[in-house]
Amino acid sequence: MDALEAIMTRRSIRRYKEGKIPEETITTLLKAAMAAPSAHNKQPWRFIVVDDPNILSKVPEYHPYSKMLPNASHAIVVLGDTHVQETDFWVHDCSAATENLLIAAHALGLGAVWLGVHPHEDLIEETKKLFGVPDHVVPLCIVSLGYPQEPKPPRENYDPAKIHRNHW
Amino acid sequence: MEALEAIYSRRSIRVFTGDEVPQEDVEKMLRAAMTAPSACNQQPWHFVVVRDKETHRRIMGVQKYTAMLEKASVAIIVCAQPGLEKCPGFWVQDVSAAAENILLAAHALGYGATWCGLYPRDDPVWGVREIIGAPKDVVPFCVIAVGVPGEEKPPSQRYKRERVHFERW
Repeated sequence: MDALEAIMTRRSIRRYKEGKIPEETITTLLKAAMAAPSAHNKQPWRFIVVDDPNILSKVPEYHPYSKMLPNASHAIVVLGDTHVQETDFWVHDCSAATENLLIAAHALGLGAVWLGVHPHEDLIEETKKLFGVPDHVVPLCIVSLGYPQEPKPPRENYDPAKIHRNHW
Repeated sequence: MEALEAIYSRRSIRVFTGDEVPQEDVEKMLRAAMTAPSACNQQPWHFVVVRDKETHRRIMGVQKYTAMLEKASVAIIVCAQPGLEKCPGFWVQDVSAAAENILLAAHALGYGATWCGLYPRDDPVWGVREIIGAPKDVVPFCVIAVGVPGEEKPPSQRYKRERVHFERW
């Protein structure tokens, strides 16, 4: 898929068909994520790849917007190592990585949705507990992945009122 | 350019030829930015497109890593208006995703770009806010320098298998 087309037609997909995403495809998605820029090139991202349906079913017990996970092929938890990146740049870095992951998934014909965790303390705590995450590593989000069941047209979010020239 | 190729081959480009980036291509980058996902689809972003070289110089004065603006064609200042949030706490991630879309679109169109952070450092945020005359409730998040590339960099090889964990940490 052409890069601009992939960016412009990406949507959040929450309904999936049966089918397991192959491991090489998951690796491709992670390569895309890790190709993101990061402040001082610190690359603070860490990932947990989950396809165990028992674990996937536990997330909706504490995360209100994750009901699609038990039907997903995989979930990828995107986390930041706060020991390697200064201030809150890890949030920016891991968000860029997540966006790369979403665009790559769409380009490969998959459906995905970004489920926010950070900065909600309760969601952070529960996610860390469920996945056994060390103290200095913070989950940013969970990305749900599967073969899309719902076709969605490109969205029209372009708003010229949000563009300013030279000054506000 | 193929999507995956664009993602893998995108690099931070800091050397530019000084040639102009046409407005229609800047528009494409802004359209790409605004298709980013955002919490509750809140779209809390604004973009200030700056071509004025004097303004570029003033920005360089408040953030020391923006020297590449000297020969950049355009600076896209990605701003957030947290007051537009419907799901509080996520605006930083929303504008980060938008910024990444700008970088990918710029690269796919054959331009070079670099993301220069402003937020959360007070001096660059306040400095740029004053330079562009933005209201107090607007947060300049980052400056993206865009230009015709004057340097070529190979695809980064950042995949690290040890950063990937399965089922649990």
